[in-house]
Amino acid sequence: MKPVAFDYARPRGIAQVLELLDANPAAKILAGGQTLGPMLNLRLVQPELLIDITRIAELVEVNENDDIYAIGACVTHAAIEDGRVRDPANGFLRRVASGIAYRAVRTRGTIGGSLSHADPAADWLSALLVLGGELEIAHAGGMRRAALHGFVKGAMETDLGAVELVTAIHVPRGSRVARHGFHKICRKTGEFAEAIGAVTTDTDTGFFRMVAAGGSEQPVLFDDPKPLFKNGDPLDAGSFDMDMAMDALREAGMEPDEYELRIRAVAMSRALQEAMSP
Amino acid sequence: MTRVALTVNGKKVKREVTPRTNLADFLREELLLTGTHVGCEHGICGACTVVVDGEIARSCITYAVACDGTEVRTIENFDNDPLMVKLRQAFSEEHALQCGYCTPGMLVAARDLIRRGEAKDEQSIRIGMSGNLCRCTGYMGIVSAIAKVARDHTEKDDQQSGARTLGPAPGPDAPDSLASEEPVTARPARPTTTKARAEAPTLAAKPDVNVQTGEISQDGKFTKLTQTITVNHPRDSVWKFMSEIEKVATCMPGVTLDGPPENGHVDGRMLVKIGPISADLAGEADVTRHEDDWRGLIEGKGRDTRSASLASGRVEYQLAEVDGGAATQIAVSIAYSLAGPLAQFSRGAIVRDLVGRLAGAFAQNLEARLSGRETEAQPAALDAGSLVFKVLWDRIKSLFGMLLGRKEN
Repeated sequence: MKPVAFDYARPRGIAQVLELLDANPAAKILAGGQTLGPMLNLRLVQPELLIDITRIAELVEVNENDDIYAIGACVTHAAIEDGRVRDPANGFLRRVASGIAYRAVRTRGTIGGSLSHADPAADWLSALLVLGGELEIAHAGGMRRAALHGFVKGAMETDLGAVELVTAIHVPRGSRVARHGFHKICRKTGEFAEAIGAVTTDTDTGFFRMVAAGGSEQPVLFDDPKPLFKNGDPLDAGSFDMDMAMDALREAGMEPDEYELRIRAVAMSRALQEAMSP
Repeated sequence: MTRVALTVNGKKVKREVTPRTNLADFLREELLLTGTHVGCEHGICGACTVVVDGEIARSCITYAVACDGTEVRTIENFDNDPLMVKLRQAFSEEHALQCGYCTPGMLVAARDLIRRGEAKDEQSIRIGMSGNLCRCTGYMGIVSAIAKVARDHTEKDDQQSGARTLGPAPGPDAPDSLASEEPVTARPARPTTTKARAEAPTLAAKPDVNVQTGEISQDGKFTKLTQTITVNHPRDSVWKFMSEIEKVATCMPGVTLDGPPENGHVDGRMLVKIGPISADLAGEADVTRHEDDWRGLIEGKGRDTRSASLASGRVEYQLAEVDGGAATQIAVSIAYSLAGPLAQFSRGAIVRDLVGRLAGAFAQNLEARLSGRETEAQPAALDAGSLVFKVLWDRIKSLFGMLLGRKEN
């Protein structure tokens, strides 16, 4: 239960991180280490070099202007949970953050680390997918922006290149009337979710999206979920059609058993009820 | 060795540590602060919970080097802490411990929960303490002890986070023992480092084959699943192709053979990747074929020497003619089991998903080979997820047209 010996670097800038990644194919990025740590201890991951990115000032900043709201990749779940970071989604980010694993994990686990790892059952992936989040990624040639939708290629697989680093998460600002719901089903508090449902609805902008996730499969994003409602009205949580949702998930390629499919639809339904409740 | 300087229980400490030393081992073995207990060593049990820069953290998955410049508090530092005095008393009165192994972590986490004002009722205490496991008490005593202290704890001034940064402690502004050193990466290159970066696998872009996955079931330690693959080639040629083990092996992502098969027995290896985890399974397989009913059986087992993970499996296939003989349906039933850290860490569903999609990748390659197209010379490792998900995203877009159509009918 001890990791293999590795070297340790603590660069002060993003350019240095990229240089280190380029020079060491067997290097791994270390942020909070709450996912990587267990993998290291179990020797499932045996890197030659860990690159600690938590001392890079840009990565723990929040950048905000009229156009963008960008949370640095190394901001912890706890910082968001505590409201030390302004929440552009009317409290949704705080609520999601407070439900991730356990407090002693949230104090070190980071939003960028979670998204880079792209565990399909992780909370941020579904929550930011439903909000339409984008990642800011540093590479040798500069920066690029990537919509989260499309960035994640599958269970723990992303579009992130070997010499690239997620530096920030851009969260779209909803209007004041935007409502959100997030429901996670798991047997033990803090465990990875068996099913997640996420909803965002903004009557000002007409933005309405739902996400279903769970198990090992890629979360499914519905960017126009109206057809899942019996009366076509997404604001009427009661008209959400579970059978239609299950069909849609199956059609979208989810292939779990009946029970797993059903709890994903249930999570969607409960997320809706949460979003619509006063 | 890497230099670290931190404050532990109010005392400044400077040491040289190996980067892989976790904070818990550093506290216990370097500083002889054995009050911090080590339970699971992978961030599940909470026994090792300590305070780093005012916030609780798991010291078994936090490395000592990463704590350079922090202030750490362990259970030994709370003797005179007013809140902890009350908690100790309540733990004693409510029988909140028996063997005491989890207790240091329980106390540190409970104090933090109360400090943050999150110990509001039994439900919130149970949720708040869910990251700390106790195998003796059944939690009743622990919950009531915390509830008792929380009821009387009215000071609200201590709820602010102790963190100095929005990131993991200590953040960019902390003192840095490495700052004075020469380039932080000064280190000799290791001779074993392979120069080439492992390339992500590229597989046939558009599957020209049809793969159906059937029910997945569990039989003892074996997970079973069935898949039906249809390829557009006559049964004779598929059967003939599958008699050549070396060719079949080139269709399996990540598989390489050590040498030519002898009497249906082969030795080889298989590289499997699940996110950052990779397992290089070295093993053997036996192939038997039944000409009369177009049936074959492959039994194999392998071991990943790095992680000591074991995998064993049995694949049975049967060929049937479809489309009037123009195509062949391959009915595959797979049973597999995993043991060791790979199984322990990977959630079953992810491995199941991976194994399920092996057949899909295999089918694409098989179709390519049968059509005379070469698969990659170097078989790529099978990455969980990188195979078909791009296709899925595209399918979602076309979904709603269909749903609307169904509704109008």
